[in-house]
Amino acid sequence: MTIRTLSASLLFLFSLSAFAGGKVVVYNWAEYIPDGVLDDFTKETGIQVEYSTYENNEVMYAKLQLQKGKGYDVVVPSTYLVSKMRNEGLLHPLDKTKLTNLKHLDPDLLDKPYDPGNQFSLPYLWGSTAIGVNSEAVDPKTITAWQDLWDPKWQGKLLLTDDVREVFHMAYKVLGFSTNTTDPEQIRQAYEKLQTLMPNVLVFNADAPREPFLAGDVNLGMIWSGEAAMANAENPAIHYVYPSEGAGFWIDSLVIPAGAENVANAHAFIDYMLRPEVAAKTVEAIGYASPNLAGKALLDEATRTNPIIFPAEDVIRNGEFQQDIGPAAVELLNGYWEKLKTGR
Amino acid sequence: MLRPAIIILTLGWLGLFVLAPHLLVVLTSLMTPHPQHLGTYPFTLDAYVQLLDPLYASVLLDSLGLAALTTLICLLLGYPFAYTIAGLSTRWRALLLFLLIVPFWTNSLIRTYAIKLILGNKGLINGSLMNLGLIDQPLQLLYTPFAVVFGLVYILFPFFVLPLVSSFDKLDPGLLEAANDLGASRWQRFRHVVLPLTMPGVIAGSLIVFLPAMGMFYVADLLGGAKNLLLGNVIKNQFLLVRDWPFGAALSVTLILLMAGLLLLYAWSNRRIHRRGGLDDENL
Repeated sequence: MTIRTLSASLLFLFSLSAFAGGKVVVYNWAEYIPDGVLDDFTKETGIQVEYSTYENNEVMYAKLQLQKGKGYDVVVPSTYLVSKMRNEGLLHPLDKTKLTNLKHLDPDLLDKPYDPGNQFSLPYLWGSTAIGVNSEAVDPKTITAWQDLWDPKWQGKLLLTDDVREVFHMAYKVLGFSTNTTDPEQIRQAYEKLQTLMPNVLVFNADAPREPFLAGDVNLGMIWSGEAAMANAENPAIHYVYPSEGAGFWIDSLVIPAGAENVANAHAFIDYMLRPEVAAKTVEAIGYASPNLAGKALLDEATRTNPIIFPAEDVIRNGEFQQDIGPAAVELLNGYWEKLKTGR
Repeated sequence: MLRPAIIILTLGWLGLFVLAPHLLVVLTSLMTPHPQHLGTYPFTLDAYVQLLDPLYASVLLDSLGLAALTTLICLLLGYPFAYTIAGLSTRWRALLLFLLIVPFWTNSLIRTYAIKLILGNKGLINGSLMNLGLIDQPLQLLYTPFAVVFGLVYILFPFFVLPLVSSFDKLDPGLLEAANDLGASRWQRFRHVVLPLTMPGVIAGSLIVFLPAMGMFYVADLLGGAKNLLLGNVIKNQFLLVRDWPFGAALSVTLILLMAGLLLLYAWSNRRIHRRGGLDDENL
């Protein structure tokens, strides 16, 4: 018996327990849904939500691929994984007739190259990765660029997100490359650039970068826009700086894995999340930008004009959105990533 | 009728949940990495050759070092602790052992998060030292190897003490009286009677601490800043991030072999102690 058939039969055993109807299994990023939304959904539809979280795209992808797209009904990959998973047949096509709230979405964020015609995915939230600064310890005016993080005076002080694409984005931008480069030479140069940053790194954070900032353990480093918005609301001293070389931008999309067992419930869940009032509640609670125009209109003035959540046009133009870079470049990046995290 | 049933149940349990998974790990470690599957044919030793890469060799050495330090600290704290406990009345002893176990009622992950609060820049330790005026800048305790060792010692300490206490229990007071009667000083009684006879407990405790210490990736993730400090972090990353399952499995097999080697050492030292001064001692 090969390992594949063995794991398949194990999966079959597990799936036997999933016969009871009326549920949807959601696999989402940590801290990526407001409290209460799942309960409201269950109250209204009677569909039970089984909810679990992941810390980065790679972990989610590893699980889904191992299970051949089974085990989950809704997941929330970033753009570059949407195209990868779509190409590998890991996604279930969306039935648009069941998604009545589709009309609220910003057309500018639909029909992108990573999923033409949005056959498999709909944008859930988008945001940026830039620099967090606590003005109690560091003057925010002195931090204007990614390159500033390389200053030797930050030895053992920085927080980096535990995300290979985002960390390499910094080096690419400092060196003037695209964040989606697949050129091994450019990747190697970025790795060497990052090697010189490692003495400054105190911690890699995967789930909630705002917490070390709020706890005062870190005063400078990478942070996601939503985390920065939440941190800023709690402690106004925590600023969000869009670096001059360009922030990293990403869109996370709602998709249904190919092996989903509750496809109808998954559609119901996605449609619920696309409701304007749910979208507005999500932006308010977790600080990421929603592609939901009707939802954005429901937000109060302060939230709608918060530059951390909704950056200005030129900031977006100056940054770069992530795309799929293919398996060869990913493998190269992961190899370098392991070395960097080991301190080399 | 009951006995064979229990034996079959036990063997079945061990076979299904211990033997089979370990065989799968060994099998996986011998395969060729494949991006879409756990691994593919042909069988190869490549994953083990990769272990010799200076990068991974140095992680192995680093985590051996951290685990050794953890074990040493457990020993220095745990031995006097167990020695003291063994001398107490039954009631006190039961109470102290109970207190040692109580923290286990809380999940170790939650306790690790609590350690973050204690070691942080505005945490209990730094806050107290600053209030006392002993320091004016917080010490960087969190996200350092120190924090990892602190967390490992805290989590693994009871596992070290328990086997040690039971080996103090087995210590025959008659032997100490005899040594006393024969004119041995306090130190001589400790050095020549107590220490050798509690050695199996020390070794058992060390084994139980040393190996898990190298694998507790979440301690290094939360307290050490998610740098690849322990072998467990590398194993986790190979399985989840890089998806080189054969290499991750080869690293696991290395840990298993290390454990097996240490267990053999334990059995050997146990035999040796029984021969010298124990019931099997030919000189008695």
